[in-house]
Amino acid sequence: MNRVPAAVLSILLIGATLSPLVRNPNDDSYPLSTYPMFSWRRPTQLSMSYPIGDTPTGRRYLTPRIIGSGEVLQARAIVERAVSRGGTELRTLCERIAATVATVPRFSDVTQIRIMSGTHESIDFLVRDKLGPETERFHCPVKR
Amino acid sequence: MKRIADWWFAPAPAERLAALRVVIGLYALVYLWRRFGEFLNVANLPVSQFQGVGLTKWSGPLPASAIAVMLVVTIIALIAFVAGALYRYAAPIAALGLLFVTTYRNSWGMVFHTENLLVLHIVALAFAPAADVWSIDARYRAPRPHAGYGWAIKLVVALTAATYMLAGIAKLRIAGFGWVDGALLRNQIAIDNLRKVLLGDSKAVLATPFLEHPSFFTAFCALTLMLELGAGITLVGGWPARIWALAVWGFHLGVVLLMNIWFIYPLSFVAFLPVFPVEKVILRAQEWRRRRRG
Repeated sequence: MNRVPAAVLSILLIGATLSPLVRNPNDDSYPLSTYPMFSWRRPTQLSMSYPIGDTPTGRRYLTPRIIGSGEVLQARAIVERAVSRGGTELRTLCERIAATVATVPRFSDVTQIRIMSGTHESIDFLVRDKLGPETERFHCPVKR
Repeated sequence: MKRIADWWFAPAPAERLAALRVVIGLYALVYLWRRFGEFLNVANLPVSQFQGVGLTKWSGPLPASAIAVMLVVTIIALIAFVAGALYRYAAPIAALGLLFVTTYRNSWGMVFHTENLLVLHIVALAFAPAADVWSIDARYRAPRPHAGYGWAIKLVVALTAATYMLAGIAKLRIAGFGWVDGALLRNQIAIDNLRKVLLGDSKAVLATPFLEHPSFFTAFCALTLMLELGAGITLVGGWPARIWALAVWGFHLGVVLLMNIWFIYPLSFVAFLPVFPVEKVILRAQEWRRRRRG
């Protein structure tokens, strides 16, 4: 490769990588990303749905994999979709989680699964262990 | 113009570019090999969840079997890429394959930002004379005349710099200079960790102690912006580029400790090797082996 094609390739690749500069920064893509992560203004309050395991001594949070995906965001999407559709889908999710929990030794003290929707002040929750208001959407027993 | 061209095409050892081909190619190969199942699982998700980005906007969803074939072809091409075998043909196939399969993984409603730089590096190396030494090709044919090796190494470095600069510019475009006060990042870290706790994932080790001290985030944000917007310094080369690389590696470590988000490619340090004389390690190892054999 002599200098001309090498220069053309260099300009094309660098130009393509920098091309997101002319796009709306919120218009993300792959692999030519605007890299907008960590840039958006976020409230400190978070409303979301999640399953919890009830034990004789209190609640336990489960794991994304038990919910249905190793990825946190995909696990969240699974719960949110079931909650928004309700009915059979929510029951199926709860029972599937309960069936999985029944097979995991470190969750042997969990007797019931509850699908909750809650709104928490993130810093209060993490720093001061203060929970926000929660609503129970569905519950099902863990059968062993 | 001539000065820019002379700088861009300044000579560099063939071994340096070859070492980058081997190390970055090997990283991509192991990455894809270890995530083969995960890439296939994603291809089996319901089509209703498909949201094309980049290349997959045109291709649309494909049968899982097609993705499996593409993964196998890409892995074989990456083996040839690392070995420097039939490089002229195998390397572009590896680059295109890696681009497509990672794009496909990013086409299900969530664009990750962990594979972009790796793909850009592989694409740049695929079209560079990176198999003139330390390769199977080099045993059977003499290198064709070309523009040298320095430009290709600079191109890989420039792509690294561009991605970090874009991340810095995005913060200013979306949030403005107010991003530096740290409140936005603190909220982001708090929300991200809360989401993890509620779904039972591990909370970042340093999240809670630092959330209690908001002033820390101002310093962290100022440093982040300085490193991202100052990424162009890598093109100067030498110790400024190496200090930048070490500082950015430290920044990624900070992201792990505060958010438990792992950007594996930069954390492995492979992404920053282009600013180091990486071939010297291999040459010294060869020299040491030669001396031991007498």
